Amino acid sequence: MIYINAFIICGIICAIGQIILENTNFTPGHLNTLLVIIGAVISFFGLYEILIDWGGAGATIPITNFGHLLFKGSYEGFQNGGFTGLIKGIFTLGQVGVTISIIMAFLVAVCTKPKH
Amino acid sequence: MKLEEYKKIVDKNSSKEDKFKNVFISFIIGGIMGVLCQAFCTFLNKEIGIKLEDASMYTTIMLIVVSSIFTGLGFFDKVVSFAKCGLIVPTTGFAHAMTSAAMDHKSEGIIKGIGSNMFKLAGSIIIYGIIIAFFLALIKGVI
Repeated sequence: MIYINAFIICGIICAIGQIILENTNFTPGHLNTLLVIIGAVISFFGLYEILIDWGGAGATIPITNFGHLLFKGSYEGFQNGGFTGLIKGIFTLGQVGVTISIIMAFLVAVCTKPKH
Repeated sequence: MKLEEYKKIVDKNSSKEDKFKNVFISFIIGGIMGVLCQAFCTFLNKEIGIKLEDASMYTTIMLIVVSSIFTGLGFFDKVVSFAKCGLIVPTTGFAHAMTSAAMDHKSEGIIKGIGSNMFKLAGSIIIYGIIIAFFLALIKGVI
């Protein structure tokens, strides 16, 4: 059952992205930025956890999850240690994707020759 | 020729892609990505015994690694031109933006090329994510 939920939720997020892309002159960079902001706002209202419980990996794969992780990390930090905790905690959950992306991008760029 | 007439001719001759078809394709591809990742996540959780949160973390890592390597091999762009948002919206798009930016500027050297251009496309995602998350967390925490 969770597979169907994952299909639906990931598909809907991708379809929303495509609709935005079709009807505006956004580039994919704009779109991803917008989706991260939307993810953070959904997480602000406490709804993203429900989406993850319902849709599993379907909700953690899209880029909206990055906004959710940033918000969740900073909010949990705020609850534990006030303003200091917020600054310390903002990257605790979201850093995984960024770290791996940087390492992989560097390795791939060093190891390949771009075609021209 | 006046500008308006020219615009009319351009509109008539520019190729119109079927919007509904694109949305449908990205829905299907995105859904398949979700199912595959859910299967991988369940496999890690049930068969190997990793915690659920860590399993979804490793799923994201797997996606990033695979899409970076595909970008390096050079056929990710062709797949994206077919799959549209089905591959842009998942984390694959983020990894692809970083890897392709790093590859494009490789000829300028390791520091000034790869180092300073890696976040050229993907930097806005991180920057605005942090700004929004910071202020929203501050607002929610204070309230």
